Amino acid sequence: MTSPAALIGLLVMLVATVAVGVFARRFARTTSDFLVAARAVRPAANAAAISGEYLSAASFLGIAGLVMKFGYDVLWYPVGYAAGYLVLLVFIAGPLRRFGAYTIPDFAEGRFNSPGFRRLAVGLVIVVGLFYTLPQMKAAGITVASAAGVPYAAGVAVTAVVVVTIVVAGGMRGVTLVQAMQFAVKLFAITVPVFVLLLHFGTPGGLFAAVARHEAAAPPRPVVVHAAVGDEWQVTQAVSVHLDRPAAVRVLAGTGPQAVYVGAPQAPSPSGAGAAVTLGTDDTLPVGRVHWDQAADVRLAAGAPVPYGAQTPPSATSSWLAPFGPLAGGSGQPLLFTYSLLVAILCGTMGLPHILVRFYTNPDARAARRTAWLVLALVGLFYVWTPLYGVIGRLQAPELYTGNLTDSVVLLLPRQVGPRLVGDLLAAITAAGAFAAFAATLSGLLISLAGALGHDIYGRWLRPGAGGPARSRAFRASALMAGLAAALLGLLVENFDISVLVGWAFAIAASSFFPLLVLGIWWYGLTTAGATTGTAVGGIAATLAIVTTMLAAASPGLTAVLIRHPALAVVLAQPAIVTIPLAFAVMVGVSLARPGPPAGVAAKLVQLHIPDRLGLRRDYIPE
Amino acid sequence: MLTDRHVPGGELRELEEQTPVGAIFLDALMHRQLALSLRVAAILVAVLGAQPLLAWLWPAYGAIRVFSIPLPWLVLGVASYPLMIAIGLYYVRHAETIDDEFSELLEP
Repeated sequence: MTSPAALIGLLVMLVATVAVGVFARRFARTTSDFLVAARAVRPAANAAAISGEYLSAASFLGIAGLVMKFGYDVLWYPVGYAAGYLVLLVFIAGPLRRFGAYTIPDFAEGRFNSPGFRRLAVGLVIVVGLFYTLPQMKAAGITVASAAGVPYAAGVAVTAVVVVTIVVAGGMRGVTLVQAMQFAVKLFAITVPVFVLLLHFGTPGGLFAAVARHEAAAPPRPVVVHAAVGDEWQVTQAVSVHLDRPAAVRVLAGTGPQAVYVGAPQAPSPSGAGAAVTLGTDDTLPVGRVHWDQAADVRLAAGAPVPYGAQTPPSATSSWLAPFGPLAGGSGQPLLFTYSLLVAILCGTMGLPHILVRFYTNPDARAARRTAWLVLALVGLFYVWTPLYGVIGRLQAPELYTGNLTDSVVLLLPRQVGPRLVGDLLAAITAAGAFAAFAATLSGLLISLAGALGHDIYGRWLRPGAGGPARSRAFRASALMAGLAAALLGLLVENFDISVLVGWAFAIAASSFFPLLVLGIWWYGLTTAGATTGTAVGGIAATLAIVTTMLAAASPGLTAVLIRHPALAVVLAQPAIVTIPLAFAVMVGVSLARPGPPAGVAAKLVQLHIPDRLGLRRDYIPE
Repeated sequence: MLTDRHVPGGELRELEEQTPVGAIFLDALMHRQLALSLRVAAILVAVLGAQPLLAWLWPAYGAIRVFSIPLPWLVLGVASYPLMIAIGLYYVRHAETIDDEFSELLEP
């Protein structure tokens, strides 16, 4: 797995990132500087920085991997990520910039005069932020691991150290520069290799035609796959294999439970179950679940249908290509699943803690709108290309299905391009792009989390009178703490799909902050009690649903219940379609039951909506 | 005798001081902007939301190929982006127009 070229790509990107971060340190002086770069960032650079921050590991690695795993249905993720900006643009970009708060907690307190509500919002920011760091950490782990040949945990640890260092050294102004640069790196790193891959493997039309020719995914050349002790392969067609040594296996009937689609790792088969077989060096893998009790290097012939790893549902090409394939179709409730996923991503974007804070770096509402539109265009330009990696992966590297390695397809596919030098160069480029992806998003998240911890918990509750230097120190300490927490949690999610983890962060944000922002900006009648209750109910309901799904991975009993009730399983795994309307209903219901908008609501709405050129605008929080 | 409201810039003061007249102006502005936002959001939801329904009601949709590429992939994975960029541009233009018209009405 080690690739010196990819390692060099990683190191170059690391040095560049640290260099720009350190260079920018000279400009970072006060807390304001750290938080919003003193609002001096130009719109074009700002749009590039927002895109750079937004295009996370889920965009760079996760979408390609999930497309390879599940096919067409996954296109809803990138389209939703882009469409989320359109929703943000039309409902909140302009008004929220006029209001002039730094973060969602600022908005919650400023709009409703309620420090208690602020506390709730800070808590939810931390929940969403930590959920969103999980997939970035997973991406960091697999990228560093596949480049340097070190364990997953080492990859997570290295990344955490680097990113915390950058954040502590440069704050946000450094990050603006770093992230604008990283957008360019990511766009370059996804498009250049894809063009070379297309030149090498054929046009998109030719690729799809080649994929469609075989109903089972099969490698175009012989491949060797390592089976470790405890691995479980799902074999859909008996296939001849060559082993480097005889190996004991157990064979269980059928393929794994469908629960895989929710992204939770599947529980292993009960030990001792299944018929014990010893496979000779030239033998046939029987249909069913093959549980390896001894390790072996397994050689598959060209054109032999690949076995699927335990976390990868077997996919026939015809269903992989069509709507409602293994992802939505596998859920048992395809329409419900698709719509709930779409709604979560559309409405969740604006609730991500590291996204809104950047919009305040625009000088006025007009610039904020134009920035949001420009971001939509920039990320769209990126998302058109990523799914092609998944298509080429199914055609050229189906052995990744066997090792549950589809999340790494962007990193591993370029190595198959010959001549060797070209393949190495491309591998270095995608590794650098992946580093840019998780480093940019992680630093943005750490700043938001450190802002919430340092600005709110330290600056407002613990030491309200603390001066500038003390606050800067608190911000740095908070960044360190958040980085540590993210790294520890990151160690737990090696077996979860990157994009699925991201979908969960979106669902929680969509169920709490989206209704709060939309009603808070557009409705006179929203009361403090209504806003608080609705935000809490939506956020908590979505979090509980997702935690239940994660726990199902460890509980065969719960998994069995979910398989019997697919609609319930879908709603728990993708709760947004229920929890968003629930949050809206609670907000409206509570507000109507006990009317009485917060004091000064008219002044707040004037600040939100009256055009800047009339000169009424005052930043709500003057700091 | 001119009333306060007819003094150039008077409406602006009404807004700033949140008088009932100011509230009417604010209401009108918010109403126009919200109507635009909801219209654009409805277009987005219709464009995206129609696709799963189409595939559900007409399974043959998934089998259509254009130059060997399945049509649903082209529609969702490629055409969506220029379409959303165009919808966004439409929104930005109209939202700025509403703001400008409102400003011109009130500016001294």
